[in-house]
Amino acid sequence: MEEKSGRIVVMWGHLLLLAFIAGSILYYWLDARAVSLRPNNLILVQPTAILALLLVLAVVPQCFPRLSEEEIERGTEPLSHFARIGALIASFTAFALSLETIGFDVATWLFMIVGLYICGERRWWLNLIFSTVFTVLLIYGYGAIIPFPFPLSIL
Amino acid sequence: MIEFNDVNAALTLLTSSLDAWIWLIPGLAIGLFFGAMPGISITMAMAIFLPMTMYMDFLPSIIFLTAIYTAAGFGGSVPAVLMNIPGTSSAVATTFDGYPMSRAGRHNEALGVALAASVIGTLFAYILLMFLIAPVSRVVLKLGPLELFAVAVWGMLLLGSLTGRSMSRGLLAGAFGVLVGTMGMNTAGHLRNPLELPWLFDGVPVIPAMMGLLAASQLIGLITTDYLIEDEASRKISLKKIIGGMRLALTHPTIILRGSVIGVLVGTIPGVGSSISNLLSYSETKRNAHDADTFGTGNPKGVIAAESANSSSEGGAMATMLALGIPGGGATAILLAAFAMQNIVGGPSFIANNKDIVYAIIFANFAQAVLLLGIGLGFVYIAGYVVRVPLRYLIPSVLVVSTFGAYAIEGNAAGPITLVVFSVIGWAMVRYGYPVAAAVVGLLLGSLLEQNLIRTNQISGGDFIGYAMERPIALVIFALMAISMALSALAKHRRKSRLANLPDQSM
Repeated sequence: MEEKSGRIVVMWGHLLLLAFIAGSILYYWLDARAVSLRPNNLILVQPTAILALLLVLAVVPQCFPRLSEEEIERGTEPLSHFARIGALIASFTAFALSLETIGFDVATWLFMIVGLYICGERRWWLNLIFSTVFTVLLIYGYGAIIPFPFPLSIL
Repeated sequence: MIEFNDVNAALTLLTSSLDAWIWLIPGLAIGLFFGAMPGISITMAMAIFLPMTMYMDFLPSIIFLTAIYTAAGFGGSVPAVLMNIPGTSSAVATTFDGYPMSRAGRHNEALGVALAASVIGTLFAYILLMFLIAPVSRVVLKLGPLELFAVAVWGMLLLGSLTGRSMSRGLLAGAFGVLVGTMGMNTAGHLRNPLELPWLFDGVPVIPAMMGLLAASQLIGLITTDYLIEDEASRKISLKKIIGGMRLALTHPTIILRGSVIGVLVGTIPGVGSSISNLLSYSETKRNAHDADTFGTGNPKGVIAAESANSSSEGGAMATMLALGIPGGGATAILLAAFAMQNIVGGPSFIANNKDIVYAIIFANFAQAVLLLGIGLGFVYIAGYVVRVPLRYLIPSVLVVSTFGAYAIEGNAAGPITLVVFSVIGWAMVRYGYPVAAAVVGLLLGSLLEQNLIRTNQISGGDFIGYAMERPIALVIFALMAISMALSALAKHRRKSRLANLPDQSM
């Protein structure tokens, strides 16, 4: 067998994801056991949770791959990339949480402006025009199709 | 098998007045439009137009609703191919190869392939339905919880073939999905709500979670890309290439036939239907293909397999609905509601007394499939323009439309919040090589698996093996599953050895 050259790298992001998955599964399993220990409650949840935790253990070593310098360089992404993704996730979260409070119209308009900027549209006039037209069309168009009352502030 | 007097009566019903026909094209157009809108399900489209049918006669109302059903089934594949957003659970497998085809600039071909496979699948299903409606209804009555559990487990084991580079990550994603899918109150009355949120009583909202895992997660990852298709020359919308895609689908009759048979058979099973049939068909096609390694990277065979199966499931679900009065899913439940609005009760007595109407519905569906070819062609031509929209506009716009859809489905902020949470989880999973589709399948099947396992446990008194020995259909399903998995493993092993024996041409 040929031994792969290079050095061991810790994939912190992957470890974090695994910790989240394992933590959620463990918490859910314990919570289900606290509800009831009867077979009708645990018949699927318990074996699946145990299997999933064993699988987490099987995946953990994959977070420490041995990579060549070339592979490490190829896999490195600029921090600005993560900053943009983080900003988009943060604004998307704020949008979802504010819909009912500030109204779908205002929330959509604000998210569109911020979202377009984060995604790369730097021409402010175009950003404002597109966000406004999109919001108006969507509110009236979707409202016509779906009879569900979306909370609105202005439109 | 076919009663010719009733066939004649059906043809007379359909040709004696225009009433039955005038709703066909509007129904197809509505179905295509709503099916292609992210977040609007087939069920929702049919539910919105259900009240309209109160003012129609029975046959036109059913033809109108089935036209929406047929077209929305295909409509869901348009965002699945172009944006990796499956409009419904039945379009999940379409995204596996449809979206990579789009990203490689083969969106015209992918849409053409999907359209042709859908139309042929629908036609095939209704031809089968015409011959098999009576025997199928007898078999479906014999399926118990163990059989349904076996089918669901089969769906779960398919995860093995859906996984990418690591089997352990695929299975972990699937198990995680199953656990999420079991949240909320189970059929035995146990409430598992670890976050103590009132809107989790009924479980995690499935459609918003699915939209987040599959679509929004991909969009977030595309933030540094300018267009869905990077190469400018490949972004063109070409009717010629769409038709070329349709021709390509016709060169794979075996895949269409296999997909259609799987679709019809699985579609007859209540509660399972098209959400599993497209995965089963995809997996079987991948297992039998000599180029299985290219599945998931833009192989048109994957799109053909998924689309032929999900569209033919409609015929299977209609068989169960007409023969037994049992809805296989939301769409057939709405059809049953339309029956009730006209004071007609579906089920064995309906078939026995109204075979002419049943045949008329089947013939009208033949016409729908043929018309869908023309209307769908025009529709995909227009919808294809989405690849020319810069991603900096497409990303926030699709996120907003998905959020509206998620809110409309749930009726409160639970939908959008679920969408956001699963978008982030999905993005992280994609980033570290976890197949999100496996998590989606788990999520869809979690409660079904648990429900049938509990019922089997109750009926058998805990003696699963003894009970299984008395259920020949369940044994056949388990045997088919074992054979299919063994063959998959063998095929994988052979491919690996073949690749290992190849001279190293990399780099």
